[in-house]
Amino acid sequence: MTAAAQTAASTIAQLGEDFFQERDDSGCVAENGTFCFDWAVDNFDRYVTPLLQHLVLVLVSVVIGFAIAFGLALLSHRRRWLVPPITGATGVLYTVPSIAFFFLLLPITGRGFDTAIIALTAYTLQIIYRNIVAGLANVPESTKDSGRGMGMTDRQLLWRVELPLAVPEIIAGLRIATVSTVALATLAVFAGAGGLGEEIYADLTFKTNVVIAGGLAVLMAIAFDVLLIIAQRLVVPWRTVRPV
Amino acid sequence: MAADATGKGDPPEASAEALPVEFRAATKRYAGADRPAVQELSLDVPAGEICVFVGPSGCGKTTAMRMVNRMVEISDGDILVGGSSVRDRSPFQLRRDIGYVIQQTGLFPHRTVAENLATVPRLLDWDRARVEARIDELLELIGLDRDLRDRYPAQLSGGQQQRVGVGRALAANPGVMLMDEPFGAVDPINRERLQNEFLRLQAEVKKTILFVTHDIDEAIKMGDRIAVLQEGGVLAQFATPAELLMAPADPFVEDFVGADRALKRLALMRVSDIDLWEAPLAFPGQATSEVRSKLDRAEISHALVVDSDRRPLGWLTDADLGAEIVPKKPGTSPEPILELDDVMRDALSDLLQAESLYAPVVDGSGKLAGVLSVEIISEFLNSPDALADEHAAAERPLADA
Repeated sequence: MTAAAQTAASTIAQLGEDFFQERDDSGCVAENGTFCFDWAVDNFDRYVTPLLQHLVLVLVSVVIGFAIAFGLALLSHRRRWLVPPITGATGVLYTVPSIAFFFLLLPITGRGFDTAIIALTAYTLQIIYRNIVAGLANVPESTKDSGRGMGMTDRQLLWRVELPLAVPEIIAGLRIATVSTVALATLAVFAGAGGLGEEIYADLTFKTNVVIAGGLAVLMAIAFDVLLIIAQRLVVPWRTVRPV
Repeated sequence: MAADATGKGDPPEASAEALPVEFRAATKRYAGADRPAVQELSLDVPAGEICVFVGPSGCGKTTAMRMVNRMVEISDGDILVGGSSVRDRSPFQLRRDIGYVIQQTGLFPHRTVAENLATVPRLLDWDRARVEARIDELLELIGLDRDLRDRYPAQLSGGQQQRVGVGRALAANPGVMLMDEPFGAVDPINRERLQNEFLRLQAEVKKTILFVTHDIDEAIKMGDRIAVLQEGGVLAQFATPAELLMAPADPFVEDFVGADRALKRLALMRVSDIDLWEAPLAFPGQATSEVRSKLDRAEISHALVVDSDRRPLGWLTDADLGAEIVPKKPGTSPEPILELDDVMRDALSDLLQAESLYAPVVDGSGKLAGVLSVEIISEFLNSPDALADEHAAAERPLADA
């Protein structure tokens, strides 16, 4: 633990040094007001790579998280007794403090991308799993009854009726999971996986830097949210139709 | 027997033949329950008839119906559809050949009207062209506008949704249909309309239908035969509506059918089923003295004025009789005018509403056929053999209508 903490601390110290070397003390930078526009324009390219890293961290962990949660939800769909233990287990993962999670993993998986993905994925499970289970549970009994009564097998009922009807809840879960992963991924720097967190912690004292790096994270979260809302409209047209 | 028609290779539309359903001491016991939900139910539903299961809640009527398509597994006994046991087939195959309609329609909210109608044909792997053609046929059959084809259920009225539910059950042209309180969730006015529509549809498609309801009036109206079940899934009586009303098997059935069963019989007849009175007639321009002498000998104390085609114009009042000749427009209007095809219950209701003791009855062309009075109806209700004519289920559509 202490070794891991030292590694992380030295990471931050190292980052800080590099950053300061590139920061000249002219004008508004020295002033360190709310936002130094000239500096932002000159230095914007330094945020591109962390931004892309951040994007990959979020996408990969949400996609893997969804795949695992979906599998767990299907597994427990016809075995209701599995729901409490799975909810409990993913709930425990969700409550582990995020920085601690990275540090706990460091001795096992080492520094880097994989460690960050494992932790971030673990955080998405609870939200996505619960939403899929809730979505499936909310399918009206009469709808399922008529599907079975017409001769659908369990599998046909699941894929043709239950899952399509659960899509709104599933997408709602994905939205929450994605937005929170964008925020959590700023801590991936402690696992040595880069991302926008790297820039934020590079110089927490320089406001312009924090505003740009943090702002990009916020924009990314909003963009994901909007995309998922659009996706929902496309996939679930029957939810938005107006009575004629 | 008829089951051969469903042989492979034949298009299912052609296998429209209705199949008989036979309950053979069918019993359902649930684990932990101290008595069966359905107890040794034995009855035969002939092909093409509507059999209504009716009874108070907890009488097992829905359970009995659901055993037919194995939504509920039979514990003991058997059920034969088209002569073969439902247990001999996989539940999925069996269900695809049996129409299924439930109270809340159970339409798939994420599928359009057309997609909902196509559910069973798709499960049966029909090719696309055949499914499309069938959807068009079904829309016409259930009387739904083609524009509604691509609507989602949420965009339809309750009545339209119910029609789609019925159409979906008919899609693969099953020999048997199960309907569980299909009109239960619809308001009374629309229910009446949907019931009539459904009877008209049934006259066309002639399926064997098992229909569950808790409403005895609906049972009397819809059923060719009625199975009254009592608590514990025991069959109390299996009879035609007229038999049920005339001769309830025991106090339970009598109580369930209701104290107003005499009135309910009226729902089973039309005005033409009864012997009408003859009214003393008068024609415009005729001398009133002639009419007066006729009146002395008549059952009815007023004369009915009719035109040369014997269409009722009105009733002569005492003031009219005081004049020399019969006027073209007598003092009292002929309303209400009843028709021979009117359901007796509605005719009585019209009479009572107009506060009149009798009313002229006309045939399809408006010509006078006789006079119906409250007195005739009441005499009729008191005559025990009046209802022997069991098939006069009056709200059934007329053959030529």
